[in-house]
Amino acid sequence: MNDIQQASVAAFELLLSGDQTTWEIISLSFSVSLSAIAIASPLALILAFFLAFFQFPLRRALIALFNTFMSVPAVVIGLTLYLLLSRSGPLGELKLLFTDKAMIIGQILLSFPLLVAMAHAAFQAADRRAWETAITLGAKPWRAFFTLMFEVRFGLIAAVVAGFGRVIAEIGCSMMVGGNILHATRNIPTAIALETSKGEFAQGIALGIMLLIMSLSLNAGVSLFQGKGELRA
Amino acid sequence: MSDLIDYHGIKISLSGKLILDIDHLAVKAHQCTLVTGQNGSGKTTLFKIMSGLLRPDSIQVDYQGRQMNWKQAKPVLQRDIIYLHQQPYLFDASVADNVAYGLYRRGESKNSVQKKVFQALDWANLSHLAQRHAKHLSGGEKQRVALTRARILAPSLLLLDEPTASMDNEAKQQTAYLLQRLKEEGVCVVISSHESHTVDHLADHHLCIEHGKITALEPVKQSAKVTVLNHVKNTLSHD
Ligand SMILES: Nc1ncnc2c1ncn2[C@@H]1O[C@H](COP(=O)(O)OP(=O)(O)OP(=O)(O)O)[C@@H](O)[C@H]1O
Ligand SMILES: [Mg+2]
Repeated sequence: MNDIQQASVAAFELLLSGDQTTWEIISLSFSVSLSAIAIASPLALILAFFLAFFQFPLRRALIALFNTFMSVPAVVIGLTLYLLLSRSGPLGELKLLFTDKAMIIGQILLSFPLLVAMAHAAFQAADRRAWETAITLGAKPWRAFFTLMFEVRFGLIAAVVAGFGRVIAEIGCSMMVGGNILHATRNIPTAIALETSKGEFAQGIALGIMLLIMSLSLNAGVSLFQGKGELRA
Repeated sequence: MSDLIDYHGIKISLSGKLILDIDHLAVKAHQCTLVTGQNGSGKTTLFKIMSGLLRPDSIQVDYQGRQMNWKQAKPVLQRDIIYLHQQPYLFDASVADNVAYGLYRRGESKNSVQKKVFQALDWANLSHLAQRHAKHLSGGEKQRVALTRARILAPSLLLLDEPTASMDNEAKQQTAYLLQRLKEEGVCVVISSHESHTVDHLADHHLCIEHGKITALEPVKQSAKVTVLNHVKNTLSHD
């Protein structure tokens, strides 16, 4: 018990004193996950829009596929990517294994199905009249797409936040393709797992607190934003 | 009176069922056409095709001296014709922003847009609602905002899908009044209706549609007596 108390005190010291290693891990985590979401989101939103608004062959199959891929475990995606990127793998030439780029690719793959599925639901809830109204008032299709995104912004933001929430906390994929290398690919979840397994709780607790604060404030932010929307709608 | 636009050979099937089959449909310039037909006769489908929002299986459009197939006609129709939904959709923004939407899409400057929006809202007696959020309006107010939002763009043709359906009498009168003024301004309007008494008196032409076919197209002279009578009857029955 005493150990845990001491570790908790040490954890706060680490955070508050601006311990370099701890903050480096935190910033790597954020930069990798934010990059992944920033790259995945635009494509996922456009795809979700097409799936919701147009009829084309394989549309239903694609929707089912993304819904299924949502539940593929991170470690399986990590394993697949590992095999692709490993030196003897088909993409081994790129020398990406155990780099933060590999982690970003992994998190893109991980978040993409979730982003598509949730954004698809948001666009489906949108009113078809919104699109027709924008077009008939002279909007070009691209502009009408942005108008529509604005109309369903709450659903889309929820999708992006959920995607970010999934990748910032995932461990399986980052561990496999990142390798948890200090100063290079160690992020919050892999560091927590490693430090704890070594019996050093302070850094693990410090990083855990960060994750918790982040996810609580993200969720609070989204609820606040949505609450505002409901008041107005 | 010359034709504003001619549609030839409109055909469309949805889910394997032939919905519309129209040889020729002419819209006269500066006139008001009333399209009547029962529920499901194809009025909405026809309007969406006419405004370039729904792709028919076949069509040919004569407009401004050009003969166009669907691919050529679609952008032109989307640009010059405005379709108003039976229940208009207003964007999640203020009334003024809604009215401004089309002007901004044309790349007009903020100054000129604001001036026009101010005038347009004044025209429709909606100035007091300018800053109100559009989702908070009544059905009748929404309809009038949507009309204003369309009129401000000075479209060649305005297609109104049952503009007074499911409105109370006062809202109907207010909408009819705006339509009357639009007509006086020379805006070419086509109005659809499945029961319509409120707007009958505006029509110069009357067109019947049954099971996707035009069954009668007559200048209002012939049907005027009936419609006027109907109108009087209705006005009386409401008192
Ligand atoms: N997407 C669709 N798929 C299959 N059938 C459709 C589709 N859209 C419309 N229809 C059918 O086409 C016919 C015409 O519909 P439309 O909405 O044009 O009629 P309407 O005259 O506007 O009716 P209302 O007075 O009820 O508005 C109806 O029988 C309808 O069921
Ligand atoms: Mg209809």
